[in-house]
Amino acid sequence: MTSQERMEAIFQYQKTDRVPLGAMSTGFNTRNAGHSVADAYDDPKRSFQDMQWTSEQYGWDPIPQYAGHTVLGAWDFGGEVRMPQGEYEGALVVISYPVKSEEDIDKLKMPDPKKAGRIPQAMRFSELQAAHDIPVFFFSRSPFTMAANISGIDQFLRWTMKKPEVCEKLLRLSIDHIFNVLEYWVKTFGPDKIFAWMSSPSESNQLISPRTLKKFALPYHAEYHERLKKLGIKRFGLHICGDQNLNLPLLAEVSPWEHPSVLSFGHEVDLETAAEHFPKDIIYGNIEPAVIQTGTPEQVYELSRVAIEKGKKAPGGFILGPGCGLPVMAPPVNVWAMTKAANDFG
Amino acid sequence: MTLPEKTQKLLKQIHDAVVAYDEETSAQLCNALLKEGIDPYDGIMKGLAAGMDTVGGLYEKKEYFVPELLLCSDALYAGLDVLRPHVKTTREKEDVGKIVMGVIEGDIHDIGKTLVKTMFEAAGWEIYDLGKDVKLDRFVEEQKKTSADIVALSALMTTSMLAMPKVIEMLKAHDPGVIIMVGGAPLTPEIAQHYGADGYARDAVTAVKKASELMKK
Repeated sequence: MTSQERMEAIFQYQKTDRVPLGAMSTGFNTRNAGHSVADAYDDPKRSFQDMQWTSEQYGWDPIPQYAGHTVLGAWDFGGEVRMPQGEYEGALVVISYPVKSEEDIDKLKMPDPKKAGRIPQAMRFSELQAAHDIPVFFFSRSPFTMAANISGIDQFLRWTMKKPEVCEKLLRLSIDHIFNVLEYWVKTFGPDKIFAWMSSPSESNQLISPRTLKKFALPYHAEYHERLKKLGIKRFGLHICGDQNLNLPLLAEVSPWEHPSVLSFGHEVDLETAAEHFPKDIIYGNIEPAVIQTGTPEQVYELSRVAIEKGKKAPGGFILGPGCGLPVMAPPVNVWAMTKAANDFG
Repeated sequence: MTLPEKTQKLLKQIHDAVVAYDEETSAQLCNALLKEGIDPYDGIMKGLAAGMDTVGGLYEKKEYFVPELLLCSDALYAGLDVLRPHVKTTREKEDVGKIVMGVIEGDIHDIGKTLVKTMFEAAGWEIYDLGKDVKLDRFVEEQKKTSADIVALSALMTTSMLAMPKVIEMLKAHDPGVIIMVGGAPLTPEIAQHYGADGYARDAVTAVKKASELMKK
């Protein structure tokens, strides 16, 4: 099967020649090709080429393949963000948040959906995806995570307790911005080409309780999918980042997305548990990134074998991959260990 | 009502204000405590710190999460701001010392470190907080300057955690006796050991317990 055929098959609940394999690999791609991490965010052409070569090298299927966020909270709304630099930075760095106090919220302007943040670079990247006939990934954080990124997470979490109405304002701005940009993408590429991808790190139980999720995050997940359906976008993936074990029953109860969607899990969530909660969806994950970075190839291979054994039983299908972003500095042989396991056991 | 009973009641109210994350009441009660002539040190340890201890327990039981911890921390600091200037003596405890802490170079995610600081503050430690995105040399300089017992390093990113073995080596080269603790989402006890750290803690509550254990060794 070609990568494309494999992905089509899994979305039709059909058998594949082997377990599909993917990685959220923004900075790893450019480093792998001898370029800088900043190139992943700043140089769409180079980033795309490096992603293509890296995907071919490791046999990754396009689930998902992107070069960073299409929309961002802090940057798009006027905060100061800079490219990663130096030896130890692996992602964009927020220098200052656009909202420092409650009063700042009313001064916020809706970002230009074509020009804000790194949207122009993301558009160039998406054009290359479309030109190469691979899905056009549109990557946003969840509205809750984006809102927290506009005001800074500490302040936002305090407001969830003391000033919920302030949180609602930021959440409204966040989801409306996501869809302003998404409409631009739909007009450019058509809904069938677009694969909407979302991650929700600020919803992890390492930060918030299920009751906070229910009150502030879930209503916006529901609205997101209503609006996604109206736009005609069918392909969706959600990276349920970190430890979200306590959130799973609530997410499963609501599950507003089309089935099957791709649900990506961190190593903190057992794959069998994930499959039990989401039997109609494709389970994706969940090799621990820190082990990929600091462990041995044998450890990664064994974790991958176990993940495949568990994942194969998932009724909605399974994709092998890291439990979060592939570490930028991961040793190539450890990354290859996942591919080898997919070939040997998948 | 006898004074000790009155004192006890006030300390319990301070404790409860912290647990109920009531910043304003915490400050008011601490002012009342001073007016009553109660030892401010008792107000800190038996009122505010005891409150944070209860908060830590609620966090471990997953009744409180980070939003609650942040607000309890605000209530703690509101009380500390009132009482601290009036504390005349420091009491020596064998499991409490000086700690340098910071989020390592290349990483700006400091919410975990902020909570760690609060819990150490509540436990009576002398804290030197270097903030976030801290250059590796700064940890060594600060430890040298303060003769801190412990240096605590935090990282959220797999990229920035790679700086940890380097700074641990630098710190140990300067002072082989210094205790080094690491924490943050991508860290595990195995990685901590592999990096040469003396201790690992998965969250702010366990960090204080682990630090106290290490101090007794």
